[in-house]
Amino acid sequence: MSIERKDDYDHGEWMREKNLTPVETTFLTALIWMDKRFRIVDYLEILETLYYRVNLQMPKSHTEQYNLDNKFWYWYPLYALGSFSTIAYVVAAVSGALLGFYYAPATTGDPSSAYNQLAFIMTDLNFGFMLRSLHRWSAQVMVAAVFLHMLRVYFTGAYKEPRELNWIIGIILISLTMVFGYTGYLLPWDQLAFWAGQIGVEMSLSIPLAGEWVAQLVFGGFSLGQATLQRMYILHVFFLPFVVTTIIGVHIAIVWIQGIAEPH
Amino acid sequence: MAPDTDDATDSEGETRAREVEVPLRLYKVVTVFSTMFAVAFVVGGFIVLDTATQRASLSLSELDLPLAVLGVGMIAAGAFVYAFSTRFRAEGMGKPKDDADEHSDNG
Repeated sequence: MSIERKDDYDHGEWMREKNLTPVETTFLTALIWMDKRFRIVDYLEILETLYYRVNLQMPKSHTEQYNLDNKFWYWYPLYALGSFSTIAYVVAAVSGALLGFYYAPATTGDPSSAYNQLAFIMTDLNFGFMLRSLHRWSAQVMVAAVFLHMLRVYFTGAYKEPRELNWIIGIILISLTMVFGYTGYLLPWDQLAFWAGQIGVEMSLSIPLAGEWVAQLVFGGFSLGQATLQRMYILHVFFLPFVVTTIIGVHIAIVWIQGIAEPH
Repeated sequence: MAPDTDDATDSEGETRAREVEVPLRLYKVVTVFSTMFAVAFVVGGFIVLDTATQRASLSLSELDLPLAVLGVGMIAAGAFVYAFSTRFRAEGMGKPKDDADEHSDNG
């Protein structure tokens, strides 16, 4: 900014020749008076310049470059689904970290310690019901949003060249999201969780050749027990958070670098 | 006052809102400062109204009438400043709804 105002108009002279109503003249004069004293517009212009310097994406989208259909903006709300999944993931991460202070993955006792801790969170802990509801709902919302995000990417052709790699990463992420959901589903260790676990073991065992090995690795045996819950817990709170957060970071970085895809 | 020819009637005989074309830099001044004032007046007006009625908990006889009127007046003033500022346009700017390539009949 220089001391000289970069202004191509003598406002007084300009307003006289413009034939404004008295109210308009007063309004403009007042705002010009403010502008001369509080140079907010100058600072906003600096921010505007910075924004365009920082936003180093591909210069033009496909629709801009080839002047395609100008009705496409109807679908723009669906372009928010990726951000929506990310927000749900962050909410789940924060509420999950807080739940971790109160949960214990132990099958001892009847009902089990895990279930007792859950009952404690839901009935005795201040804001515990709220906290677990936040975690559960954000998880549900994330799975739904991720799936709809995939549909949007498919139907707008956003997976096509040069974005194939990000589509593959997305497939890995949607799978890991479901593993996240499944491992979390087993943690309450109630009837629902136990029999969902039983189904998981039997599904693993049905895999040809590698079945028994997979069941041992993921569920810690062929029947459910402490080892199963322990593994689900570690997958849910230690293994998956690091892996999924990293891959989400890469996924978003690639979108940032390549720019938002518009339909082909 | 003889305004510009802007608020002439269009072909269907409806009066159009008045438009005043100003230089781009002045348009930015109008947008930034009038939005600021409008927000300050409306938010401030609600705070004043809340104070006058103690968050709408007082009965009609108990409330501070001058202060309540001031609050409503501030909200109206904020709305007026915003509405008034919308008549100013920079060169080459049209109203989005009057742009030729978007029709309300979905094309």
